[in-house]
Amino acid sequence: MPSAGAAKAAGEAAAPIAAEAAGDGAAEDGERTIIGFFCRECAYAAADATGNARTPLPTTVRSVLVPCTGRVGPLHVMSALAEGADGVLLAGCLEGQCHHREGNLSALDRVAFVQRLLESVGVEPERVQMFTMSAADSPRLVAATRRMHATISALPRLRRL
Amino acid sequence: MPLTARGREILGSLPGVAPTTTTDGIGCEIVRRDELCIGCGRCVKACPSAALAESSRFDPVQLYRAPAGTTRGALGAALRRIARHEPNGSFEVPPRVRTFRTIEFDRTRCLGCGACTRACPTGAVKARPVDGREAGGTVLSSELASPVPA
Repeated sequence: MPSAGAAKAAGEAAAPIAAEAAGDGAAEDGERTIIGFFCRECAYAAADATGNARTPLPTTVRSVLVPCTGRVGPLHVMSALAEGADGVLLAGCLEGQCHHREGNLSALDRVAFVQRLLESVGVEPERVQMFTMSAADSPRLVAATRRMHATISALPRLRRL
Repeated sequence: MPLTARGREILGSLPGVAPTTTTDGIGCEIVRRDELCIGCGRCVKACPSAALAESSRFDPVQLYRAPAGTTRGALGAALRRIARHEPNGSFEVPPRVRTFRTIEFDRTRCLGCGACTRACPTGAVKARPVDGREAGGTVLSSELASPVPA
């Protein structure tokens, strides 16, 4: 999880963002869950900075710390979707700036693969998305999580067998 | 018999001879079970006659048929839980995704040497003597029903 500051800021932000979601006419069938895989080097640092600045993040996004987005495989993403997530967000380093050389590029391709996999069975591919940012770019993280929140809120809950 | 590198070299030097295309039925019959394949590509590397190739496409049905307890099986089970309909065919795989690719087998180029069988870590490729008996791993030439044609 991000720092205590981030969690607190997220808590404070819960009310306005929930209202925002309701404004989109999307929250009638319950709040969505988005699993965010955050790279330790960039996105997680950005999330920490967001917390310290007390900028609210959507409460639908649950963050998972990963050493590199290149560690996240199709099975991580698909398991998250199958076990209750409505969307999966990957946040990693900017292209060409991966601390593990090319992990983010692998992750981008894997996300594209999972999107095609979802498309082939009739699930909206936009439920899985990847964003890149630098460690100092917390506004970009906020924008990415809000965009993901808006996208997933506009979609119905993911049906499971 | 499967051709050696030297044999291919000699045949390749002859005009109008393509050493990689041989007739069916030489050596063993290769039987592939794609649902057990993990896409590691070892058979592709082991094949001396380029009968195997990693294609740029992948069919999600392979995940559905993969056995439980494997990564592909788990992926198939997860996909089945959220699927709205059966997979609608294969799709193009992005370049950095290496393991989710369907291995294409060109039977007309196969020498039946069984190199792919020995290289396969999951038993997805079996070499079968031409009389139809299934054999695991290497098939000795003495087990072959008919003598290898000259």
